Amino acid sequence: MLAIQLAITGLQAGALYALTAVGFSLIFGSTRIFHFAHGATFVIAAYLFQWIFAAGLGFIPGALVAAGGAVAFGLILNRLVYVPIQRDEGSFFTVFVASFGVGIAVQNLVGMIFGRGYVTVNTPLSRSVKLMDGVYVAPMAWIAIVCMVVFIGALQLFMRRTHTGMALRALADNPELVRTFGLNPRTIGAVAFALGSVIVVPAAIITGATTGLNPAIGHHVMLISLAATIVGGIGSITGTMLAGLLLGLAESMALLVVESQWTEAVTFGILFAFIILRPSGILGRAHAH
Amino acid sequence: MKINFTAVPAALSAFLLASPLAAADHTIGALFPLSGPNAVYGDVFMAGSDLAVEHINADGMLSGTMSIAYEDSQGLPQPAVVGMTKLVNVTGVPYTLSAFTGVSKAISTIGQRNQVVAVNGGGVGPDLAALGEYFWNVIPLVNLEVRAVVPYLTGEMGLKKVALIYIDDPFGQAIEEELTSALGSDGELVGTFSVPVSAQQFSGVAAQIRNAGPDVVYVASYGAQQVQIVKQLRDNGVEVQLVSYSGFITPDSLALPEAEGMIVTGQSVNYEAGDEVTKRFVTDFKAKNDKDPSAYNVNYYNATLLYAILAQAIEADGGEVTGESLLAKRQEMKSFDLVGGTVSFQDNGTLLFPIEVKQVEGGATKALTTMSLN
Repeated sequence: MLAIQLAITGLQAGALYALTAVGFSLIFGSTRIFHFAHGATFVIAAYLFQWIFAAGLGFIPGALVAAGGAVAFGLILNRLVYVPIQRDEGSFFTVFVASFGVGIAVQNLVGMIFGRGYVTVNTPLSRSVKLMDGVYVAPMAWIAIVCMVVFIGALQLFMRRTHTGMALRALADNPELVRTFGLNPRTIGAVAFALGSVIVVPAAIITGATTGLNPAIGHHVMLISLAATIVGGIGSITGTMLAGLLLGLAESMALLVVESQWTEAVTFGILFAFIILRPSGILGRAHAH
Repeated sequence: MKINFTAVPAALSAFLLASPLAAADHTIGALFPLSGPNAVYGDVFMAGSDLAVEHINADGMLSGTMSIAYEDSQGLPQPAVVGMTKLVNVTGVPYTLSAFTGVSKAISTIGQRNQVVAVNGGGVGPDLAALGEYFWNVIPLVNLEVRAVVPYLTGEMGLKKVALIYIDDPFGQAIEEELTSALGSDGELVGTFSVPVSAQQFSGVAAQIRNAGPDVVYVASYGAQQVQIVKQLRDNGVEVQLVSYSGFITPDSLALPEAEGMIVTGQSVNYEAGDEVTKRFVTDFKAKNDKDPSAYNVNYYNATLLYAILAQAIEADGGEVTGESLLAKRQEMKSFDLVGGTVSFQDNGTLLFPIEVKQVEGGATKALTTMSLN
């Protein structure tokens, strides 16, 4: 029974990791911008939702405000920080440091505005119900899994069936060729930021209800996103989703064989194993730019 | 409005020359978590220390103005060592406020080596009683809290089977040792589950705890993590009695609906004491913060006031206020009038307070019993 319970909780955690990591993977895969402030996008979305929801204004307004805030943050950051740095031939490292700095600034701003303590989205959906002896599942676990399937499925459809999606894939493969076809890589890059930011919103909302929030939560989110992106294969949405699920399951199922303090080490053990044995990740392609 | 930039350097020079900076000004340091998941404690600690500075300056206790140089420890040893090094070598403070077990242990060697007093009012690891003569505690340590709550759980409440979930750092490890020792033959530790400092997902651990079948779960963590643990234990079907220590008594922890009914321990402070120090603290704290003070507010008020009492006595003797003279004066004076009454340090530099066993009710705590321990 414990194994079943751990598998279910692992799937729930993995679904949230997948939703968060896919956004980062999409942005990094398309634009090659190491968007460390993706964790800050998560924090902004989570706090905006919590703020609206706690004020009694309801779920849908909360979700819309959170989505608007996340997209606006992603677009503004791209336009005001990343584009100017890239215009001046900024290196990968410069972009990373700038993004890291923005992440810290957002953490402090959120702390000043919403308080630095722990907050949570109070909902009965996070309370587990007994399925069978020794197995408890909260409705939020199913919601997390459904959200992962719906949002990542929709993103996949968008990437494969629309011209903008194809342009995003083309940008990941060859930015020069995109220019040759008369498309503007910056405009396509902005679409990547908008999509990558909005897909983090369901994970942020569900995390607010199940785990709770503090302004510093973005760093942990970013670590998991980075691990899932590398394990899944940079730029591969399906690979990142599978990696998110794998990491969530591994973190939870590891409790069957190791002490609880080693569960995070298992995550990074998997990351190192992939870096050494399969650097291109689960579904990534071995190629060089 | 146009700004005359040419006037700025002149104005700045005039301001600096006119500032009443003098050798008699008193600056002490403080290493508090001001960012990160433990930042909520920083706000609580500063509410106490800042009020003490206001009172000390209003009373003119010292020859100059007193102030606190705050450094952000994030509740972590590494940033704390950087902050302590700056306070000692750059700011040149003789006295520093400290918090958190890991932080206090990390900075204590710098204090000892440079003869700078460090006073802890928030960390409760038992090891903090043995960090040298320059490290003092104005808070009872957690070994006393564990020793107070275990007889209550196993005796009064009849809860014999205990599971422990603890943070994997010196504080958490100390709690595990104390709990094992305190339970003795009166109870049984049916499971211990350590979690990494950065962990945020505890649903799997909750399943393990349910599997262990305890009567009570002791939660030994701090900051946002301890609240996450309590919420996720309840969300994941752990319905047994939850217990924690004084670190849980923060506004956001107590406000958590899942914390209702928890047993917590903490130092007993007599807010009704008739002495002027206590009355003034309670009145002014309530007026300034619109809420009742907590033990942490008291501790950092006391730690700051203690400096002023010692420095005032040293200045009255015509001496220089240094870490060495502060230590000598504390050992000479023996007892101090602080919030809660007249207190004395033990030989190991730790103040002794009775321990209260309390229950969380409606976002506050209600005392169940008080125990005096040595």
